[in-house]
Amino acid sequence: MVPDFVLRPPTGRYHALNPGTKLVLAFAEAAIAFGVRGWTGPLVVIAIVVATATAARVGRSLVPFALAVIPLVASILLINTFLFPGATDVIAHIGPLAPTWTGLGAALQATLRVAAFALSVAVFALTTPTDDLLADLERRGLGRRGVFVIGAAIGMIPRMAERASEITDSQRARGLDTEGSRWRRIRGVVPLAAPMIIGALSEVEERTMALEARAFSAPGRRTILRPLPDSTGQRAIRWVAGLGAIVLVAASVAGILPVP
Amino acid sequence: MTLRMRDARYAYAGTSRQVLAGVDLDVEAGRVVAVVGPNEAGKSTLCLVAAGLAPIAIGGRLEGSVLLAGDETAGLAAHQAAQRCGILFQNSATQLSGTTSTVWEEIAFGPRNLGLDIGAIVEHVEGAMATLDIAGLAERDPQRLSGGQAQLVALASVLALQPSLLVLDEPTSQLDPAGTRLVGKALSRFAAENGTAILLVEHKTGLVARIADEVAVLVGGRIVQHGPTAEVLANPALAEQGVDPPPAVRIERAVAAAGRSGDLAGLDLAALEMEPIANPSLPIGAPLPTGTPA
Amino acid sequence: MNGQFSTRVITLMPVAIAINIVLGVTVQQVLKLPIYLDSIGTILVGVLAGPLAGALTGILSNLIWQYAPGIGGGTIGPFAVTAGVIGLLAGLWGQLGVYRSRPASGNQLIVAAVIAALIVGVLVFPIFNNPAYTDPNIGGYPSWVFTAIVVIGVVVALAIAGFILVRKDLAGFYVAAAGAITGIVAALVSAPIAAYVFGGVTGSGVDVIVAALRQGGADVLSASVGQGLISDPIDKTITSFVVFVIIASLSPRLLARFPNGERLTATAA
Repeated sequence: MVPDFVLRPPTGRYHALNPGTKLVLAFAEAAIAFGVRGWTGPLVVIAIVVATATAARVGRSLVPFALAVIPLVASILLINTFLFPGATDVIAHIGPLAPTWTGLGAALQATLRVAAFALSVAVFALTTPTDDLLADLERRGLGRRGVFVIGAAIGMIPRMAERASEITDSQRARGLDTEGSRWRRIRGVVPLAAPMIIGALSEVEERTMALEARAFSAPGRRTILRPLPDSTGQRAIRWVAGLGAIVLVAASVAGILPVP
Repeated sequence: MTLRMRDARYAYAGTSRQVLAGVDLDVEAGRVVAVVGPNEAGKSTLCLVAAGLAPIAIGGRLEGSVLLAGDETAGLAAHQAAQRCGILFQNSATQLSGTTSTVWEEIAFGPRNLGLDIGAIVEHVEGAMATLDIAGLAERDPQRLSGGQAQLVALASVLALQPSLLVLDEPTSQLDPAGTRLVGKALSRFAAENGTAILLVEHKTGLVARIADEVAVLVGGRIVQHGPTAEVLANPALAEQGVDPPPAVRIERAVAAAGRSGDLAGLDLAALEMEPIANPSLPIGAPLPTGTPA
Repeated sequence: MNGQFSTRVITLMPVAIAINIVLGVTVQQVLKLPIYLDSIGTILVGVLAGPLAGALTGILSNLIWQYAPGIGGGTIGPFAVTAGVIGLLAGLWGQLGVYRSRPASGNQLIVAAVIAALIVGVLVFPIFNNPAYTDPNIGGYPSWVFTAIVVIGVVVALAIAGFILVRKDLAGFYVAAAGAITGIVAALVSAPIAAYVFGGVTGSGVDVIVAALRQGGADVLSASVGQGLISDPIDKTITSFVVFVIIASLSPRLLARFPNGERLTATAA
């Protein structure tokens, strides 16, 4: 009855997991990557993430996400290696600079944390269509309004980006300085931000009325078009992952986790 | 009687001026009533009041009586009004929810909001698509349609609630000629084949001439003229009231003024799909500028 | 029309979130300034619709920016807390009527302009004058940092005073104060996040400031706080002014439909 292109059955076993499960796993991984201090936390997460990605056949697609964190990693490595406060175990004296082993160690750990986090987000994004995630959250009680806000925001970003570049182009033609002095560029902020925002706000009235005209504020629950299967097994996974992450982080913070 | 307005007066929230100053208007099932008038006459406000959105969704003060399928709009909830009256605005982009990846799901947005079961939803969606003959667009991304197609999808998504009244607020005014043709044809067919009552507000009196049974002229928040289409549109006083007569009427007058008897019965003007001439202030009887379709 | 989350607010929020993300990216990449402008939508929603709506806009903006496919990545997610606080404060200012136009003239304006300039001075002075920050021997900042602070302070003070005098509107003073306070709070909330989650750096241009502060010997947390206190108050003050200009240009008819509408329409002089 409901056509297939609407049902969009998932491809692959990891993909077919309930979106809520994948979300909890992503949050657990993020918590462990950042919360468990030392080398083990991030390394374990990276291992899990890479294994999951391979099993779900999205391994290759992780690369762009990994590349995207390079600027941040470069910053972390440079600043922490060369400017770690209070460190005295110098690696070598390079002119005025004095990189330290402690600094390098901290830098690498921070890098691993960031990498683990980014890859965990990547696996989640690659295996969970936004529609499915939102439908699942709605079913669990987020409600139609929360789902609408998130879904519409995501959908609006490309259009807003186009409008922004149209405005920047037309402002440049009128002399907006994007390369000149700092003061000139600050002055350029209002002519860029204001038209974009005012244009977007003028649509709010029409959009509101269009929503009301489609019975958006009707009471009760919306009908779900695509059933998202869940199972006791998955519920168990969610509880274990969630509680496990909390316990590990707490143990690490309390200093009683005996891992490097 | 699907829509019954008696002495309807309305002022927007935060203002005191009554944009509608006492409107009496009836739209029955199966009839198409068009409303024309100069800018700032209150035509868009009339649409909002007829659909119940004013005052339900935007506040403001409504006095007088507005009955939608027998109930006062002021006492309805927004979703109840939506099931009695569908409304289509000018800008198709703002009417699409922006949360769906296929046209099918976009049209299903309304029925889903009501919590209908899946069988009913499928029926409503496919019915709406069939009515407007857009089943071929079902898999497309709503944000990647042409203006005319998007407008039809927006129309389908309100028709999916199966309202008994359809209000159209200048549905083709932001479309290019191709889109105008597309939507104009779909509306003509819909009006001819469907029993839904239609209230059409338009500047392009060509469309009005093709599908409307009656025309009301709204000036300064009041209806100053109301009668059968041919009669109202041929009335010379129309131009004084700030309304362009439709192309057929303009041609007839131009031909008559040029001294020839005008038997235009043989001319299929609808097929010409004429646009308003470039210079609306051209006096009737003056030679048309070259390059204008005539 | 039901309270803080009416359909109109629900429509406004996605627009605001998209604005946050797109403006944030554009300002960084195109204008290349060390300000973010990624909380314009958050403050706008807070002022128009109240603290809860504002906070949610901020939090969702960060989470969506982090997790949404195609635009996700980066490390902005953990700062959702800061964004929530900014939205909350904006809602507060909106309800207190900070963003209401208050036309005035003559002496009132001059007094307001002077006081605003003084407040900026007061905010900058403790950073300027505190030996814990300035004496390099005990972990202070290198000298160019506080030249920068002085210059920024003077520029901002003049801009605010100018704004008040040129627009003949006392609201400029209140908006500036609100923006500055929001910025300071944002810096204080963000610093621990940046310090403990990322080791003090976030990959954006402001890392230069962190580096400079560390070079002066500041520890990770102070460096983060220091960087925050240099960029955030300016960023939030500029953002607040832009929001004020926009709200002032909306018709009362439109404003009236939002939850905070009445508190935003101008009172007679």
